Amino acid sequence: MFGKVLFATTATPACDNAAHVAFNIAEKYHSELLIFHVLGLPSRGFSPFVRDARTGEEEYYDQDYIQWVEEELKNTYAEQLARYPNARIMTMAGTPHTEILRLARKEDVDFIVMGAHSRQERTGALGYRQAGSNMQRVARSARCPVLIVNRPCTTCLWYFSNIIFGTDFSRASYSAFLFASKLAREIGSRLYIFHALDLSAMHAGKIFSQEEIEDQIKAAKEKIHRIYLSQMQDYDNVEMEIWEGVPYMEILKYCREKNGDLIVMAHHTREIDPEEALLGSTVEQVVLRASCPVASVNRPDKIQEQRKTR
Amino acid sequence: MTQGKLCNKRPVNTEEELHSLLADKGGKSYYEEMQDLDVDASEIASILEKTLKSRMRTWLEICTHCGLCADSCFFFLANNRDPEQVPSFKIQSTLGKLYRRKGGVDNEFMRMAMDTAWSKCTCCNRCGLYCPFGIDMGVMFSYLRGICFSQGFVPWELKIGSGMHRIYRAQMDITTEDWVDTCRWMVEEHEDEWPGLTIPIDKPDVDIMYTVNAREPKHYPEDLAEAAILFHIAGENWTVPSIGWEETSLAMFAGDWEGARLQVESVYEAMRRLNPGRMVVTECGHAYRATVIEGPYWAGLASGKTPVETFHYVEWVVEALRNGKLKIDPSRKIKEPVTYQDSCNYVRNGGLGDIAREIMGYIAEDFREMSPCREHNFCCGGGGGLNGIGRYRRERNIGLKVKRDQILATGAKLVITPCHNCWDAVRDLEEVYRIGIRWSFLKPILLSMVEIPHHLLPKE
Repeated sequence: MFGKVLFATTATPACDNAAHVAFNIAEKYHSELLIFHVLGLPSRGFSPFVRDARTGEEEYYDQDYIQWVEEELKNTYAEQLARYPNARIMTMAGTPHTEILRLARKEDVDFIVMGAHSRQERTGALGYRQAGSNMQRVARSARCPVLIVNRPCTTCLWYFSNIIFGTDFSRASYSAFLFASKLAREIGSRLYIFHALDLSAMHAGKIFSQEEIEDQIKAAKEKIHRIYLSQMQDYDNVEMEIWEGVPYMEILKYCREKNGDLIVMAHHTREIDPEEALLGSTVEQVVLRASCPVASVNRPDKIQEQRKTR
Repeated sequence: MTQGKLCNKRPVNTEEELHSLLADKGGKSYYEEMQDLDVDASEIASILEKTLKSRMRTWLEICTHCGLCADSCFFFLANNRDPEQVPSFKIQSTLGKLYRRKGGVDNEFMRMAMDTAWSKCTCCNRCGLYCPFGIDMGVMFSYLRGICFSQGFVPWELKIGSGMHRIYRAQMDITTEDWVDTCRWMVEEHEDEWPGLTIPIDKPDVDIMYTVNAREPKHYPEDLAEAAILFHIAGENWTVPSIGWEETSLAMFAGDWEGARLQVESVYEAMRRLNPGRMVVTECGHAYRATVIEGPYWAGLASGKTPVETFHYVEWVVEALRNGKLKIDPSRKIKEPVTYQDSCNYVRNGGLGDIAREIMGYIAEDFREMSPCREHNFCCGGGGGLNGIGRYRRERNIGLKVKRDQILATGAKLVITPCHNCWDAVRDLEEVYRIGIRWSFLKPILLSMVEIPHHLLPKE
């Protein structure tokens, strides 16, 4: 599951927490690690200029520049590289999400690790209300699971002991379940299957009767049994819970209560224009606020592939 | 005869030459070598004799220096009405002198001619519209670029660009495998959401052969996916060629007419091979000019037309909107004030201004015209290759002021720019002047508001 890990980095402190997790996972699972940095946006029409992603300066996209940046990357991650040298440093000029997805496809990676956004100054959810558009696009389109790390992981000691799988019962959520359950099984972690009944419409004046809420909880419970628990067969290190409220809040509270060190969800919102998705979807809010990494899984490809080859 | 190792009159034809040029940071050695580059006066005289025909000779001779072209030029307006930016002065002091001296000019003159031809004119052809004699300085500057190129006096990036076309038949180093793989990738990425989505490659006898700008597969592959999704929604029978898919022509901007011919011939060959009903060109202005308007002449086609009928993307869009192949959900039309950047190459020089308005009628509730607009619109400021030339960054940024003020006057914060050059220039304009605008091609806008036929939706 972690055979080939792509760590996509802005090479700025915004990705330090992600780097920590990426190297730890690679070390623990003996992964082949690709450290990939998109140098900057190709600029000025067809010209060989690049607007450097870190400095904002205009640079000539040539061998000197590439070598210089790769050297910088080696310095940035010198400590981790000394501990885990089985890593390849790669760079490319382009639009970050496009190049990350292109490389992931070309290298057929099993897992992508990235930070939530490239803004260096803030890492909390208060200052702004949306996660980075590159992260959103990668999470939405990648064929493999994408692990998004925003805040320092306080519970990540063992990668991973308590996996929280949040579901909205969509098709993409089933892929997320396949990943979460397989991971739990392989490393013997406890799996928490969680659904939040969305009561956010209450704020807009829509009142649900208690009876309605209870009916819906009952229906969700049946769904969890039918869709997910029935697939777990003999694996009993699993529990389920349904709470009601604002979904992202509920999953965060649940994660905290269970000492979750990994949240697995599907990121399948169609809206990726940050202007439109101002409030962000559940997964973005979770990503920004969670104190553990969040894996976004939308597609079954990598998980089923491995199942076939076994 | 002094010819530089990098800067010389030989066009770039091999990857080795291309890489040594690319390795020369910012063209530093290239421009140093240019200082000593010899000028072959007899060769220029011979080119002028053979190719400067009666139309341009007449233009050069009958110009009365009345100055009516001055205000038509955005460089003149943006540079504090500098008399040296009057189009007639610019062409008379370069091509005019070259012609009168029968090519007897020196290195310094040729460098001045190069700087004038690429940093003081974008070949937008607006002046030709205002000259009482119809003298088109843009056409003549384009011609002058050819003479400069023949002597090796061409901006570094455009020497590289023309070499790319000669080697890869694309403005960027994209091989056939890269291109085909990008098409497959885009299908893989979107087929879950759009069951049945395909990008058919080399399918013969279809209705539409679609061709693109190399920057799309290189940097913005979503553009290709969006085109495919819109064709899918419209139910079109279409294809892309595996070879001959690139419409643009940096060779044209460079004045490399041989390279320009090689490029368009690859597209015409694809048309002959696949026999489509027609070709649709992506949202690019100069690509349309190169392959549709000028290309047939480069390729020596007696009809002056492409082998099959060719549509600019806006023409396909308006047709699909008119016949209902694309239906806009009225509730999702653009509500905010929005303006449209008329591309010189397909509006002024291609006559598609009405079509642009018709599209805006379908998609926007508060469309604001720039003033002036349509065929009178000013160049975005980055046309003719200027966007990509580092040597003239300062001049380009000054020129952008005219477009900036035009956009500000509309009150719109969103600019529809169905042309790669305009899109880049407007983006750069925002980067330089920070006026708080956004810009977009048509495809993502259409996708955000088009009604999706029920049978195309994924089944949960």
